[in-house]
Amino acid sequence: MKPKNEQKQDNLLFVGIDLGTSRSAISSSNGMREWIESYVGWPRDFIAEQVVGKSVLFGAEALQHRLSLDLCRPLERGIIKEGIESSERAVKEIIRYLIDLAKPEPDQKIHAVVGVPADSLKVNKLAIRKAVTDYVHALMVVSEPFAIAYGMNLLNNALIIDIGAGTVDFCIMHGTIPSEEDQKTIFTAGDYIDEQLFNYLIEKYPNSRFNKNMVRQFKEKFSFVRDIDEVIRVELPVNGKPVIHEIKDEVRRSCESILPALVETTTEMIARFDPEFQVKIKNNIILAGGGSLIRHIAEYLQDALKEYGTCKVTRVTEPLFAGADGALRLAQDMPSKYWETL
Amino acid sequence: MIPILARKNDLRIRQNILRGVYEENLLMLGRGHPALSRHRPFPLKKILLYAVVCLFAILMHGQYEGTSFSPSETPANIGTYRLSPPTAGVSWEGTANTFEFSDFVNSGNLPLSHMFGLKIRTIMIDAGHGGADSGSIGKMGTKEKDITLDIAKRLKTHLVKTSRSHVLMTREDDSSVPLHKRVALTQEAKADLFISIHLNYLPRKPTNIIETYYFGPSNDEKTLRLAKQENAGSEYGLSDFKEVMEKLGKTMKLQESKEFAKSIQANLFLNSRKHSEDIQNYGVKRAPFVVLLGVDVPAVLAEVSCLSNDEEERELSSETHRENIASYLTAGILDYLNKGAITYEAKK
Repeated sequence: MKPKNEQKQDNLLFVGIDLGTSRSAISSSNGMREWIESYVGWPRDFIAEQVVGKSVLFGAEALQHRLSLDLCRPLERGIIKEGIESSERAVKEIIRYLIDLAKPEPDQKIHAVVGVPADSLKVNKLAIRKAVTDYVHALMVVSEPFAIAYGMNLLNNALIIDIGAGTVDFCIMHGTIPSEEDQKTIFTAGDYIDEQLFNYLIEKYPNSRFNKNMVRQFKEKFSFVRDIDEVIRVELPVNGKPVIHEIKDEVRRSCESILPALVETTTEMIARFDPEFQVKIKNNIILAGGGSLIRHIAEYLQDALKEYGTCKVTRVTEPLFAGADGALRLAQDMPSKYWETL
Repeated sequence: MIPILARKNDLRIRQNILRGVYEENLLMLGRGHPALSRHRPFPLKKILLYAVVCLFAILMHGQYEGTSFSPSETPANIGTYRLSPPTAGVSWEGTANTFEFSDFVNSGNLPLSHMFGLKIRTIMIDAGHGGADSGSIGKMGTKEKDITLDIAKRLKTHLVKTSRSHVLMTREDDSSVPLHKRVALTQEAKADLFISIHLNYLPRKPTNIIETYYFGPSNDEKTLRLAKQENAGSEYGLSDFKEVMEKLGKTMKLQESKEFAKSIQANLFLNSRKHSEDIQNYGVKRAPFVVLLGVDVPAVLAEVSCLSNDEEERELSSETHRENIASYLTAGILDYLNKGAITYEAKK
C-alpha cells in the first residue's frame, strides 16, 4: 500500500509553463514535455475556417496559414501587446493548448507554475493569472529567469541572462527570491536582430523579395557573432526567379547589434552587487533563452568581461525547456500547504 | 560534516525562496501584507523645496487673480462635481479671464497656438516616477511607475500614428529620472507640449477619480499634499528655483496649459464613464507641481486613475484598460491640437 502522501499526489499533475514571446513550453510531472511557437490564429471568416478546418490554430500551423488568419503573438516585447482583447484571449488559448499537450487525466487536479518575461510580471501579472486560472486548480506566476535559476539549482551568487525574442532579462540570484533591484530587462533582443537583418538585407538586395518571417528563420538557422568558418547562402526570389544570396556579413552584423547593450547591462548588474561576492557572480553567468543559441555569444561575453577580471559564461543545455523545467521543479518543491491557499 | 552543513544551508535557502514565491503570489491576489502603501523618499531638501513652492504660490496668488487667472476660477476643490459634455463657446472651468491680454487671446475661443499659427512639432510624454521611486503601490503590489510607463508607451504609439508631431518620452524604461532632468529633457528637445502621467492614491476613500492639473497656486489641502508627493525627487536648488519662478509671467503657457488640461480631463472622464459609472470627475485644477513649472510650454499632469481603489487596481492589470486610457489621452491631445477644427472620438 502506498503512503498516504503519495496517494494524494497521484491525483495531482504538476506543470511548469514557460510563456515566452517567441516560444512557449510545458513540462509536466507525468513526463510530457512539449513546446509551440507563441502564435495563435483565428480564421478571418467562414471561408477561411473551411480552408484551415479549425476554429483556432497554434504555433507553426498558425504561421503556415497566416494569410487566412487573424494572427496574434501575444507577448511581443515581453508584455501583452496591442491587439488587446485578442492578445489576452491568445494567452488563454496558448495555456489551454499547452495543458492539453501535457495530457492530464480527466479527474486530475493541475497545479501550475507559469514563468513569464520579467517585464510582463510588472503590469500583466493579474491578467496572466486570469488567463490561466480557468484551466488549473492552483497557480503561481514567476519571472522566467528566476524559474531557470531555480531549475538549475543556481540559487546563490549567479547571474542568469535570458535572451528571448522580445526582451533580454537579467536576474541575479543571491539566496533569496530576486527583488526588483536584482532584475533588469532590456529590449534589444531577438526581434531587434530580426529587424536589423531585415533592414540590412533590403539595403543590400533591394530587388529581392522576402518577409520578416523568412528573415527570422535565417536568423534561427545561421546566427553567430565573431566569425565562423562557413559561407551563408540563402535562396530568395528576384522577379519571381529563385536566386542564391550571400548573407553572412548581414547575419553577423545584426546578431552583434545586441552585444553592446548586453555587455553594458551585464557589467552594470555585476557592479550593483555586493563587492565581496562580485567575483563569484562573474564566474557563474548563465545564458538562457533562444538567443543563447547564437554561436560564440558566450565566448564573446566572456572576453568582453575580461577587463573586469576572470569570468565564466556558460549556456543552459536545453534553452527551449530550461524555463518550463525550472517552473515544474518549483511546482513540485512547493509545500502543499502553500498550494492550498492559491 | 561539511557536506551535511552545505546541504542544510541549501535546503534553508530553497525553503526561503519557495516561501517568497508563495508570498508574492498571495500579494498578487490582494491577500498579502496590507501594510504596503505609498512609499516615497522625502528628504529634508524636498520638504524645504515644497515649502518654497507653497510660499511663492501663496504670495503670487494675488498677481494671478489680476492677470492670467480669472477671479471666479477656483483653485482645486476637494468636492466632486458631475461633468456635462463641453459645448462650443462655454468654458468648462469658469468664466473668461478679465485682463486685456486675456480678452485678446481668448477672443474666438482658439488656442494661441492656432491664433499665431504655431505648430506643435514635438510632444513630450512623461511617465511618472520610475526606478527606486515606485510612486504609489496598490494592495496587490501594482506599482504606479509600471502602469504610468505602460500607458505612456501606448500613448506614444497612438500619437506617432495619429499626429504629425515628433513624440518623445522622458523615460522609456524603469529608470530613475529626477524631475529637474525631466524638465531639462523637455527643454533640450524643444518640446511644444508636455504631459505627465500619474495615478492617484486615496487610501481613505474607496472612490476612483480622474483629475488633471496645470501649474498654479492652490489652497486646497489635498492638492498641496499631492503636489508634495509628486514633487519629491525634483532635485532643484533654490537658485534654480528663482529662475524658474520668473517663467510664471508667461501667460501663453498658463492659458494653453489650462486649455490643454480641460481637453485631457474631458476626454479622460467622458470616455472612462462609458465603462464605469462609479468613476468620479475631480475636474481641472491648479497645483504647484515642480515638473509643470519647469517646462515653458503648455504642460499638464493627469492623474488618470486611482490605484487605491481595489477594483481599479484589478482593471489596471488588464491591457485593455490601459490601452483605453492611452486612447482617451490621445483623443484629449488631438482635441487640443485641433480645437475648433475636428473633435476626436477615443477609439480602441
